[in-house]
Amino acid sequence: MTKVEAVIQNSKLEAVKSALQEIGVEGMTVIEVRGHGRQKGHTEVYRGREYSVDLIPKTKLEVVLADAMVEKAVQAIMGAARTGKIGDGKIFLTRVDESIRIRNEERGEGAL
Amino acid sequence: MTAASSLSSELRSFLASESARIARDFAVTGDGRAAIAQRTRLVEDILKRLWQELVSGSSHGPQDVALVATGGFGRGWLFPYSDIDLLFLHADRSGEEIHKEAIRQFSQGLWDLKFKLGPASRTLAECDRFDPNNTEFTISLLDCRYLAGDRDLFERLQDKLIPKLVVRESKVLLRGLAEVTRERHGKFGHTVFHLEPNLKETPGGLRDYNVACWLALISSMGQLREWPEASLLRAPVRRQLDAALEFLMAARCFLHFRNARDDNALSWEAQDEAAARKIGATNATDLTAADWMRIYFGHARAIQRTVMQLLDEIPEAWSSLRRQLQGWRLRPSNANFSVVDGLIFLQQASSLQDPEMLLRLFHFMALHGLKLSASTEHRIEQSLPALAVTPPRGAELWLYLQETLLQPHAAEALRAMHSLRLLTLLLPELKPIDSLVVRDFYHRFTVDEHSILAIESLHRLKQSHSEWDKRYAELLGELEDPELLYLALLLHDTGKGVPGNNHVEASVEIADRCLDRLNVDPGERAMVLFLVGNHLEMSAQLRRDIFNPETVAAFAEKVGTPERLKMLCLLTYADIKAVNPEALTPWKAENVWQLYISAANYLNRSADQRVHGDAGDDKLTRLRSLAPVTSAKFKEFVEGFPHRYLLVHSAEEVMRHMAMAEEFGHDRVQVDLKRGRHWYELTLVTKDRPSLFATLTGVLAAWGMNIVKANAFSNQAGTVVDSLYFTDRFRTLELNMSEWQRFKESITAVLAGAADLDRMLRDRQRGEKQAKVKVMVETRIDFDDVCSSTSTLLQVIAQDRPRLLHRISSCLSSQDCNIEIALIDTEGQMAIDAFYLTSRGKKLTADHQKRVAGSLVEELKSLELGG
Repeated sequence: MTKVEAVIQNSKLEAVKSALQEIGVEGMTVIEVRGHGRQKGHTEVYRGREYSVDLIPKTKLEVVLADAMVEKAVQAIMGAARTGKIGDGKIFLTRVDESIRIRNEERGEGAL
Repeated sequence: MTAASSLSSELRSFLASESARIARDFAVTGDGRAAIAQRTRLVEDILKRLWQELVSGSSHGPQDVALVATGGFGRGWLFPYSDIDLLFLHADRSGEEIHKEAIRQFSQGLWDLKFKLGPASRTLAECDRFDPNNTEFTISLLDCRYLAGDRDLFERLQDKLIPKLVVRESKVLLRGLAEVTRERHGKFGHTVFHLEPNLKETPGGLRDYNVACWLALISSMGQLREWPEASLLRAPVRRQLDAALEFLMAARCFLHFRNARDDNALSWEAQDEAAARKIGATNATDLTAADWMRIYFGHARAIQRTVMQLLDEIPEAWSSLRRQLQGWRLRPSNANFSVVDGLIFLQQASSLQDPEMLLRLFHFMALHGLKLSASTEHRIEQSLPALAVTPPRGAELWLYLQETLLQPHAAEALRAMHSLRLLTLLLPELKPIDSLVVRDFYHRFTVDEHSILAIESLHRLKQSHSEWDKRYAELLGELEDPELLYLALLLHDTGKGVPGNNHVEASVEIADRCLDRLNVDPGERAMVLFLVGNHLEMSAQLRRDIFNPETVAAFAEKVGTPERLKMLCLLTYADIKAVNPEALTPWKAENVWQLYISAANYLNRSADQRVHGDAGDDKLTRLRSLAPVTSAKFKEFVEGFPHRYLLVHSAEEVMRHMAMAEEFGHDRVQVDLKRGRHWYELTLVTKDRPSLFATLTGVLAAWGMNIVKANAFSNQAGTVVDSLYFTDRFRTLELNMSEWQRFKESITAVLAGAADLDRMLRDRQRGEKQAKVKVMVETRIDFDDVCSSTSTLLQVIAQDRPRLLHRISSCLSSQDCNIEIALIDTEGQMAIDAFYLTSRGKKLTADHQKRVAGSLVEELKSLELGG
């Protein structure tokens, strides 16, 4: 089992959700985050004061999937989130040791 | 032993069959009170049988030990899956030893029957020992009831010990009970209006009902020194509470049977089922879940009000704040209302026959943040039927409403009005959202509570210390008409009470009707409708890229003016904040702020987009139809004005300007002066000429006026419309009617060259003292060459001082700059001025900009030094 973490633009959330649902991914966790990569921050001057934003608001998506699904999911996310400009985001994959369903204690890939 | 085990199995099957019968009866009748009475009797019978068998065969035996029911069981309220509260009362320690084994077997027998016990074991002396950390036990004793064993012993407890104990400790008991209750209320946001309430714990629930009874009992016992005969509460209140109790009993039984455990949460599914089965409302016609919840909220409100009144009226139960107000006769007491111990009383009982008095009462409440006394509330309720026949309406109502909305405790006053059913009487548009439950996982409160909470969030901004709140608080302080924002918040979700998918459109329609009824001015009406119609706009933008200039531009264009932008930003803040306590995360607050400043800057930079006289947009078409001039003259007038001119001025104002321009034949300089809400308004319509703006601002400076805001626009034909909003530092105009004319003539004279402005200014300067600088503002001068295709934008931020605007605009004139558009604003001690400049019809070159900047810096410095 693999955890797929994707940091994407806020405006791409709906598109990525739809793309994942289309390939059969049924559960995900969405978190509001801030961060930056090489995309520089932003400084706005208002009433003579500077407001600089060096941690840019982004959206993070997390899904845990059976290994067989992972590549399809990665492709779906990239396809929906890409604009080609700096700031598109990144995807990380990590191995998951166990998955457990709280309701009935089911374990393993069936619990995903 | 076999006798015991056969008794045990006999009791088990008896319990099972009887419990099933009770459940069946309830399923048919829905009578909660009967169900819990039956269960109480059932459990009692079983307890008595077991006691006889295992502890003592004789009636009222054995000596020196008694079985006592406490808590809910003692009250005779045993809900289907509630714990059974028992007290094993011993005469003394040695008695406890003697009966220990028998009682152990007895308890074992109860556990075998799968009863959930809340057992306690005490000697009589131990009951008397009061532990301030365990007031719950002492309070559970208040509901004690004899079940079996030594009757004398029990009577010593009930008739002697408990009254003495309560009298001795009544202060601590009341205080403890009040504190625990307030804490619990705090956990639930001090409101009954939860979308999925907990029947036991939420304000207005069963726990509150018990608290009310205990408060009344302890306080009257404290005075009478014995168990009181009658209830502390008045008959009509008792009736309301009894009805509420019936309902809650039925609802809780319903939940227990449904969930097969002690679960008191009214989930949405449970609400659906309860409505279908008409729980607690057997005589009603078909009910939707929302209807059923309204009935629930009505009862919960009654209980909560009683508890709050008791907490207010019993001195020992007062909050620490109240104790500080004790005995004060506050200065706010006036001819109509008096304030005693923090509660509002009417000076004359009959005064509420005048509807205006009622409105004044709530204004008073909103101003001081005090509560109404029970007698005042009672009088208000009595006056409602007469009020319903001829309710206050129109401009008078709007006037009082505005003033009330602006006060720091407006939300509390609104809640009081709402709970007394007065708010929906005055604003029937709010009826559809009264106690309305709308199901989504995001909102925590009913729609009406959400709207009032949003208003409260804005008022609270002023006291907040958080970084984000301070920024929004600044914005709030800059608004010209905050009452419009509060009204918009009150109306923004009214559309949710109407079937259909688009609540925004529905809310706009309903708001329009309300504004009509209140006779609100067209300009103000447009603002409220704009806010209601666009209240989701900023949140929607957060789903897009707020750093993308195109997104910002589109949003800013949609909003149109800085004033609307500020209002919309604060509306968004309040709306999100009132959804649930965690909704406005720092992430959201930052994003909304970011979008606000980007859009504000865009609006400043985009003022130079010109109107074309024959364009087909809505606003122009409407204006054209209203104009009292030919359409050719209309086109000539509007052609070339910036779009901002049409956005900032109402249709009526544009008409007036047009009419003034028509008078050029008689008088080339048209001046109009009037007194506005916050400032005086001077409008000048004339043909453009060099240094016009500088001269005009100079005259005002010479008269000691302080310019707060200004807009200067010109059209293609060279007609200039300058609007200056100023305060009259020496109250010249306020105190001297004759000066109005002299002032206007002074302006015309200076512009005609017939008066010496320089001398007027010098005369003024001689008497001028330097004003104290409270907040140091650093000067900032910025040029923007990109935002307009035809002019250069200059933005100046500087310390606000007398004659500042005149000095800046004169400096610009002397540097060969023509002011195409001026947008002047002041915030506290900060002057924020934006000028769109041209020089000889073109943008300023880089060199020219440098020279202008240098000259401005010098000018401002000399002003600072008193020059």
